[in-house]
Amino acid sequence: MSLNTRSRKRYVLSSVAIVLSLLLLGAYAYGELKEYAGIDGQSYHAEMHEKGRCRACHGVNEPESYPEDGSCLRCHEFEEIVAATIPETEEDRWQNPHDNLHYGKDVPCVECHGEHTNKAPLCANCHNFDFSDHEY
Amino acid sequence: MAREQYDRDRRRFVKGAAAAGIAGLAGPSLVGAARASDTDWHESYDLVVLGSGFAGLAAGIEARQKGIERVVIFEKMPYFGGNSAINGGLFAAPGTPLQKKEGVEDSVDRMVADQVLSGRGVAYEGLLRHIAGNAADALKMCEDAGAEFHPYLQQLGGHSVPRTYQTTVNCGAGITQPLFRKCQELGVLTRNRCRFEKFVQDDAGRVVGVTLATRYYYDRDVSEGETINVKAERGVLVATGGFSQNIALRSAQDPTLTAEVTSTNAPGATGEAMLEMFRLGAVPVHLAYIQSGPWASPDEGGFGYVSNYSIYNFPHSVAINRATGRRFMNEIADRKTRADAELANRDEQGKPLPPILVTSYSEAIKHPSAKKVLRYGVGWKFDDLASLANKFEVPIGPLDDQITEYNGYVRDGQDKQFGKSMELAKGKLIEPPYMVVRLWPKVHYCQGGVEINANAEVVESSTRRAIPGLYAAGEVTGGIHGVSRLGSCSIPECLVMGITAAKTVAGGAV
Repeated sequence: MSLNTRSRKRYVLSSVAIVLSLLLLGAYAYGELKEYAGIDGQSYHAEMHEKGRCRACHGVNEPESYPEDGSCLRCHEFEEIVAATIPETEEDRWQNPHDNLHYGKDVPCVECHGEHTNKAPLCANCHNFDFSDHEY
Repeated sequence: MAREQYDRDRRRFVKGAAAAGIAGLAGPSLVGAARASDTDWHESYDLVVLGSGFAGLAAGIEARQKGIERVVIFEKMPYFGGNSAINGGLFAAPGTPLQKKEGVEDSVDRMVADQVLSGRGVAYEGLLRHIAGNAADALKMCEDAGAEFHPYLQQLGGHSVPRTYQTTVNCGAGITQPLFRKCQELGVLTRNRCRFEKFVQDDAGRVVGVTLATRYYYDRDVSEGETINVKAERGVLVATGGFSQNIALRSAQDPTLTAEVTSTNAPGATGEAMLEMFRLGAVPVHLAYIQSGPWASPDEGGFGYVSNYSIYNFPHSVAINRATGRRFMNEIADRKTRADAELANRDEQGKPLPPILVTSYSEAIKHPSAKKVLRYGVGWKFDDLASLANKFEVPIGPLDDQITEYNGYVRDGQDKQFGKSMELAKGKLIEPPYMVVRLWPKVHYCQGGVEINANAEVVESSTRRAIPGLYAAGEVTGGIHGVSRLGSCSIPECLVMGITAAKTVAGGAV
């Protein structure tokens, strides 16, 4: 395989990755609460809701309670989430919701994100930040 | 903050009262303290701390440094830091390195005298003296843990000299985060979502443990874990803060503080551990003295950005009644004086007419939060007085005259209108362009709570003796500040009394 072919292949692969990421981002941006088999759930987790895979988060198929804090992180890589929300300017560095001034990285996910109900971000208790990208 | 509850049968969230009756809802315990002889212990520690704000964290650090081995901090909320993590990060202390650098003459006596004046005759002078005398050491504990402070002092309302430090992040989190990390480094266990239910006493009346509901979800007011009995071999420290967010309790004390009055506090500041201490016989002190912050803004929730911005700018600003265009208070009087004056700002129908704080933009913008104030629409910049007057419907003639008159006081160094100290206003005329925020008080601090002595022991009402094994520190205690606490005096109080409690426990017999 020539170097040229290899780099072209890499180019194609990375393009596919970009397109996929954009699609994923699109899906996120349009996430909404929908009803799945009698239970409200966020549409970005549609597959789990459609298949009734409560176990994925709750650990059991007939959940009686919230999942343990940290359950989300079995699938989501926390440091990636932190990195994805790093503010653009130094002035805003402590406004990263996932690594914030008041609580650092220690706020459990479900304080700002609800799987079966929409939630307002914790910051909104005191701040008029632009929350337009917030996923409930 | 709306609290929702989860209906398990319908697997939906329901609001408020509709959810009443669901099994598993956390609620107040209906009996007093449990008896140790009837208790099966799930866990055991030397020192059990309730609450993870300044007082609890400082106690955790001091306890470990004094050789107390098994220390645990239980926090009701999902995140640590309590109300301290969202406070203004302002820290008053006499005889500090910055005062030396700036040539400020100050002393423990002078700080206590300022506090006694604001306490209107009913503050506990002995405890204030103990706190002021140890404040510089508490400041050092914070710095040693990694807290950083601005390289300048501020002079807050009611303080006769500049003696207030502030964290570089302009927030108490600049202290709670380093102290929390320090606690973890020192092996203090920290457990969130643990709601205190009641104390456990032995037959002699000593507090020997607590009962806690685990996996507690504040927003749904439900505990999804087991209820555990936790033994405290050497003591229980209650450091759970005030009750500004308990609307029923605060309006029972002060009927003017209804649900319509918002609060700067974290939602968990509801006071249930204080009420349980009363069941044990603790003395309720000054519960009706509930302070509102005169620097808060009606244009954002909680403490927000404006509070610290106003605190910084009050000395060189004018607060204006929008109906008259005139000043209506000494902008650096103590908090109660200012909050009462602001609340009197009403329109003809008696509805709130939040006054405006007018500052020269060139000065205002020096505050680290000023840009955020503008960006998030909680403050405004005006190139001239006409546009300012137009926006807030202030009569421009009287306003113009008022500013000219006030600028005369700036030049003379004497405020003939309200007797404001013009020391920090020197050379700072009110000139265009202007920056403006709106002011309206928010419930901020409970001066009242349980009575403690200088060892941070909780006093029993009929015997006047310390309740063995029970300690309290911080806003949950009462009487120290009297009617109205001076700004930046809570952080030193919380830290010093948390440290004091740990020292008492360490020095006491096991």
